Amino acid sequence: MAPTVDAVLLRAIASLSVLASTASTVEDEWQYVSDLVTVWSGTLRAVGATRAGQSAPPGAETAIDRLAAEAASISDPHRAMDWLSTLPLVALVAVGDAPR
Amino acid sequence: MRFQNAAQDGRAIVYAGIQADPLVARAASLLADAGYPERVLARAAMNGQTLDPGAWRTMFPTLFGPDADDGARARAEAVLAVSLEVAGRGEEARSQFRGAIVEALTERLLGQRVPATAVQRERRILFDGVPTEIHPYDVTVEVPGAAEAYDCKWGARGIGADVLNQLDDARRHAADEGEHLVAVIVIFDAARTCQTRLARQTAPRNGLRMVTLETLDRMAGVSRVT
Repeated sequence: MAPTVDAVLLRAIASLSVLASTASTVEDEWQYVSDLVTVWSGTLRAVGATRAGQSAPPGAETAIDRLAAEAASISDPHRAMDWLSTLPLVALVAVGDAPR
Repeated sequence: MRFQNAAQDGRAIVYAGIQADPLVARAASLLADAGYPERVLARAAMNGQTLDPGAWRTMFPTLFGPDADDGARARAEAVLAVSLEVAGRGEEARSQFRGAIVEALTERLLGQRVPATAVQRERRILFDGVPTEIHPYDVTVEVPGAAEAYDCKWGARGIGADVLNQLDDARRHAADEGEHLVAVIVIFDAARTCQTRLARQTAPRNGLRMVTLETLDRMAGVSRVT
């Protein structure tokens, strides 16, 4: 059975926490990191809720898994911060969603 | 209000070498013709961890999957190749290349809307009785009565009080002289992220225009999000 859009986006949300943990070591940007996690988690949840139960497009599940692996491999906190914005965009493109 | 070439200090000379690198022009050219998904790919791969193109193809099934047509796939492959070339330049260099690419992309897109000769790089804007700003504007459109000043950033984190104040000052000084100057910040990042960054800034931003990853084509006079 094909995974659903909301299920694969939940995996992307989990990756935001991984990135935030890496990025949080930049002391003067903790508020920005926290804001990004709040904003993008909410955005991905909202898309997931709107498309709950819909089958994810072909390749989307594998794409999000590989995306999660890429996020987990980032050790530089500044790059992790940059990726707090990048990862949600890639995830949304993978499920065929419009720019948000 | 008048425009002037920026003085070439040591840092500017080094950076000019980056700006003149053929890789910058190639990336800007590809991104100017790219759609939104290819631009997201470039943003991810230019600052990603892996240099394995197969990994990026897996992350972008809509661009590289079996449903992608040959033309779209070829464009995406070209964007991926140039992005990984930037990423492969190493940590410090890739940061400089990314900035230079956003500037060159801005210049190209503006050149589709106004005469290319009106688009200039690294220029100061001078006003009577006002001390000259230290930092030049990345890109300017120098059309009498319809001037534009652009500051270009790779990511929303580059939005700071110094940038906002400089753009606001230029816009106000131009108005004081009875001139109209459009002040724009171009960020190769998501609009939502930029708004998040701006929300905590106290510097003035009235009249400031913001161009983001989703709206780059507006600089070329195109309103679509591709």
